[in-house]
Amino acid sequence: MIAPPGPAVVELERVSRRYGKVLAVRDFDLAVHAGEVLGLVGDNGAGKSTVVKMISGYVAPTSGTIKIMGEPVQFRSPKEARAAGIETVYQDLAIVDDMALWRNFFLGKEIYRKVFGIRVLQVHEMARICGRHLDEVGLTSVASPYQFATTLSGGERQSLAISRSVYFESRVLLLDEPVAALSVRETRRVFKAIEEAKAQGLAVLYIDHNMDHVAPVADRIAIMHRGGLSRIVGRDELTAAELAEEVAASGLSGDRGE
Amino acid sequence: MTRTEASAPGSGGTAEGVWRRLIAQREFAPFVAIVVLWMIFELASQTGFFTSAALMSSVAALTASVGMVSLGVTMLMVSGEFDLSVSGTFALAPAIMGWLMRELDWPIYIGLVAGLLVVSLAGLVNGLITTYVGVPSFIVTLGMLFLVTTINRIILGGFPVDLIKEQGVLKSVLGGDLPGTPVAAPFVWMLVVGLVLVFVLRRTQFGNWTYAAGKYGGGVARAMGVPVRRVKLTNFVLTAFLAGLAGILQFADFGSSSVASGIDLNLLAIVAVVIGGTSLFGTKGTVAGSMLGALILGSTKVGLIIIKVPAEWYLGLVGTLLVISAGLNARVEILSRGGQRSSIFG
Repeated sequence: MIAPPGPAVVELERVSRRYGKVLAVRDFDLAVHAGEVLGLVGDNGAGKSTVVKMISGYVAPTSGTIKIMGEPVQFRSPKEARAAGIETVYQDLAIVDDMALWRNFFLGKEIYRKVFGIRVLQVHEMARICGRHLDEVGLTSVASPYQFATTLSGGERQSLAISRSVYFESRVLLLDEPVAALSVRETRRVFKAIEEAKAQGLAVLYIDHNMDHVAPVADRIAIMHRGGLSRIVGRDELTAAELAEEVAASGLSGDRGE
Repeated sequence: MTRTEASAPGSGGTAEGVWRRLIAQREFAPFVAIVVLWMIFELASQTGFFTSAALMSSVAALTASVGMVSLGVTMLMVSGEFDLSVSGTFALAPAIMGWLMRELDWPIYIGLVAGLLVVSLAGLVNGLITTYVGVPSFIVTLGMLFLVTTINRIILGGFPVDLIKEQGVLKSVLGGDLPGTPVAAPFVWMLVVGLVLVFVLRRTQFGNWTYAAGKYGGGVARAMGVPVRRVKLTNFVLTAFLAGLAGILQFADFGSSSVASGIDLNLLAIVAVVIGGTSLFGTKGTVAGSMLGALILGSTKVGLIIIKVPAEWYLGLVGTLLVISAGLNARVEILSRGGQRSSIFG
């Protein structure tokens, strides 16, 4: 197994999550390091989404410990997780359609000035920063940060959401099936944004049920099966054929459920 | 979800670009409607319409109540929720105020505060049940409408309550005409509160969160750490508060209030908001548009009388306007996909 580049940013130690009688995640151990993309694959119901929800503060683990930079954390809300530097980009929950791009970019982390206790938005500053980042991500079709998010393609929306985590100097980027339903060209655009986040030293955890989506961009791939970790492989450790074999052995398939 | 590749943004300088940008403003359609309506009434009446100060004064007075109520309803609807109890809270605030002044001999300003507190509490209950229990606001506020109406009946026994004896400064500030003008004070109150809320929605963090809390944005907002429940809760309280304030302003203006005051306001306020360009699903909407919507309703009511159309036609025409404007909004959605600001305010 290849050695991860930076220090461990997120660590899950014997983490379990129970929903009623169902044990969605059981005794799960995982570490994501700074400057790496860790793919987490598994079939529907394997517990991937529950892992994301626990790290992003949506649900608390039933047992076990989550550590950020070596410190145990217990998030009570997504807001607390965000404050700790954890950004999540969901497939459908990345961008609000009918809001301007600058509003989306800064949603929940607006730049404001207090005037008589009222948080007055610094619109021009936010629009300027948002516009600059749109350029850096390469969204050249975007004319203005004031335009609506509906004018962006699926890949552009995901790229914008990912670049947001770079701007806010997050430590952790959680990606939940970010390229599902995207074309090949759009997917490439999103991968570029992921590479950029990685280069900036973020610890990226990339969840997908489709091996083909994760393989091109992940440094290591963790395979999840029935709530537990079945194996972690390095990107260069196995050939594509062997990887497919591995996946099949875990009851996974590479092209399921698009 | 069908999403095409990024469509070309509105080409700025050309005449077509300017036109597209203009019609993409949510306030554009209601503004045009007012111009058209006023022209029709002006030409069809013998007295004139917008050239007549007396008629404009009536329009302002008739716009005030529905306008003030629609301001709160707009904020709430943009955040993805409804309030059908506003006609009940509109009548309850002055009932409590008048009853306390009559039975307990409380001064007007304490009665005012008490009335507003009680209706705000009703808004809080609406919000808590909707956001924490998960009952749709449509049902919760319909229940609240019956509840506050019943409380009103119990307090006043079904009889009107008067404010005629009150001669204090506060009464003349709340109601009556603005000194030296024919403009009803409640209309000025509506304008002032409206302009404040235009700013709040467009230019504050709370406004940004209100947009994001709408039906389709709510999930994203939660993921981004926005306290969606608290935002909706605040808008429920604001809506009830403004409905109560509108009721009290009318109470001070008319000198009397009853359980039937503002009985059709819950639906008329929604009509004003929809005519003003706000989406029933939230996120898309403007406060200024709703004020224009309320002005359309007020103008239509006065205008129909002036051109001698039977008064019974009013609601039918309002219904027609509602459907037409909802259709126009749907068209504007498509036209605005070129990518402009949602409003002239930013």
